[in-house]
Amino acid sequence: MENTFIVNIIHRPEMVPEYAEKVTGHGQAEDIGRKALLTESLDIFKFQQETAHKNGLKTTIQMTYASLFNEEAVSLAKEHHEKYGDEIALSLLGLPCTEFREKYKTKDFCIWMFSMEDKKNIVDDVFGKFHDIFGFYPVSTGSYYMDAELTNYIKEKYPSVKCAVATCWEEGPKAYHTCNNSWYTLFDGGPWNPWIPSKQNTHAPAANEAEDSGIVAIPHLSRDLLACYDGNGSNFGTHPQNVLRGMIYDSKTWEYPYLYNLIDQYRHLAKFNNGYSYNMMFVGPGWLNKMGRWEAPYELLKKSYEDGMKYYGDLKKEGKCVDMTMAEFADFYRENKTYEEPECALWKDILYGSDKQIFWYCDPYMRAQINMDQGGAIVDLRPYAAKLNWPVGIGTPHVQDASYPFLIQEKYRAGYFTHYAGEGTVRSAKISYNGEEVDLCLCRTKATFSQEGSTRILTLDPVDIEFYDLTVKLQTKIYFEEGSSKIRHERTILEMSNPDAEVEINEYMVACYGTTEYPEDMTGITLTAKNASESKTLTYEYKCREEDLAGADEVSAVIPAIETKAAMGASGSDATGYFKEGYAFSPMFTLGFTKTLKDKEVFSTWLSLEKAN
Amino acid sequence: MAQSGKGKLNYRCPMCFMRDLDIDMFYDKDKKEYYCIRCQYVGPEEDVLAKNELIRIKYGRMYDRITFDD
Repeated sequence: MENTFIVNIIHRPEMVPEYAEKVTGHGQAEDIGRKALLTESLDIFKFQQETAHKNGLKTTIQMTYASLFNEEAVSLAKEHHEKYGDEIALSLLGLPCTEFREKYKTKDFCIWMFSMEDKKNIVDDVFGKFHDIFGFYPVSTGSYYMDAELTNYIKEKYPSVKCAVATCWEEGPKAYHTCNNSWYTLFDGGPWNPWIPSKQNTHAPAANEAEDSGIVAIPHLSRDLLACYDGNGSNFGTHPQNVLRGMIYDSKTWEYPYLYNLIDQYRHLAKFNNGYSYNMMFVGPGWLNKMGRWEAPYELLKKSYEDGMKYYGDLKKEGKCVDMTMAEFADFYRENKTYEEPECALWKDILYGSDKQIFWYCDPYMRAQINMDQGGAIVDLRPYAAKLNWPVGIGTPHVQDASYPFLIQEKYRAGYFTHYAGEGTVRSAKISYNGEEVDLCLCRTKATFSQEGSTRILTLDPVDIEFYDLTVKLQTKIYFEEGSSKIRHERTILEMSNPDAEVEINEYMVACYGTTEYPEDMTGITLTAKNASESKTLTYEYKCREEDLAGADEVSAVIPAIETKAAMGASGSDATGYFKEGYAFSPMFTLGFTKTLKDKEVFSTWLSLEKAN
Repeated sequence: MAQSGKGKLNYRCPMCFMRDLDIDMFYDKDKKEYYCIRCQYVGPEEDVLAKNELIRIKYGRMYDRITFDD
């Protein structure tokens, strides 16, 4: 699989494109059956297909429910399947149309938000109609989000399905806010690249055959792994009009090198994933509206789509890109990936000029972000090990919120920096000497990636920690062993200006749980420090208590609300484990280990995640 | 005074954009200005375009083609 860069190009004939009715219909009473709207929609689909084919790229045509009622759309799909090898698939996006509204008596259109009963009815309806028209059931489907219950139902009833667009990376509260709190796609916390979803939770990859949902999931677009985490996801993806939305183009020349930089950085990820890299491009027709989109006139929208396709097409001609349909990709993925093989991304800022570097890691047990600009701190952590059952939609506890909960999220629960009091979520270390203390979050550095057997290793460039009369050169290495459900941090004192000095290191994790910016109830979380002979424990009551235990084997937190146990351990038996309860103004808990270190000594600690129920 | 509508292009409020908010503006044809219904921004088209250039300041490498050799 040496240097295999795969692209999935997907188009959907959406008869009432998102945005189009709102935008082109401004000043008119709503009428989703307007002939002009339907004609324009098909024209956009034709343009997209033609542009892909012109560049030698095959596509996956995701028929929408509405398009199944349109003879021309059906006929085009059949023709392009025959002529270009395009896959005819079925999208659960694009439900709105006169027929749907009359039948289901609702304006809801996001499949994951319907009640389970409605989800089943709609799926049967849409799949049935697809079969009536094409004579077979689809192999690929998708939406912006596919909850596990929905996927399980589809797979059980329509086993032909093996690939689905199943989430949109970090499309959560940030996207919601960007849309003035009116865009209810709340699904942070998933993988950024294709994965096999577990039966229990779409975001969490399956660890084995028993957990396998039976589909290969692909993300909706390939997102900028730094810009999207900090800002509106819909500005930074392999979607030319998203790049225009972010105004990331020269308004005079209409050039957008960022789009190509983004594609190239995804290609570069092959270096961390055994030669494999991936892109997905799926532009809904509403983004190619003849009326223009926001400040971008149609000519620019069109140009950017043509340029994006040309870039992939040129890469293909140069032998640097393989275009696949979704069905072909699912087969490729099954043949080339194992359940426990992680997805890794050593990523750099390609837009702002900060030179920041982060590392994303995703496997069936966790998703984690390491920030080299903060000394290798973990700044985002999702405990997939819990495989949290989290039904979404009407009639469930989470009508809209489909995000996988975090333990650490530096944007929603602060990170190193907080205002006035309290702590933010982060996994880092502090070094102390003679009353001075330095957090590695303030030691900016870079990392290199390597792999030894089934362990991925981040080796950070050494940092200097300067105290009043002592300088310590320290190096961090971070280990991710496949299938271990652990992240191990190893700190080595490479050099001290006074070789006889001793410093204290405090390896810590401040955490909580949640899916949004707002705090959750921490009551009932159990904190424990234990070794073979002793155990100390308390149940969270916001009382600001803390305990330590010399020679602890493990310190842990069990969080019932997300069925997760997070634990830390340390090398050797001479470290002291501790935990801290938070308080109302700082609804966090802290786990950690402290130890005295001398020159050339190494201290290793691990963080592990498991299901607790 | 007649009701406002959309302008020839669908401009967003540049001030809101700077704080990661996409808010469509409306056009007051009597005053020949765009205005934001969420914040207090008002301005003619030239001002919107000028502010849109300011927005781009945050993209320090927007014009660079970057390589990934290492």
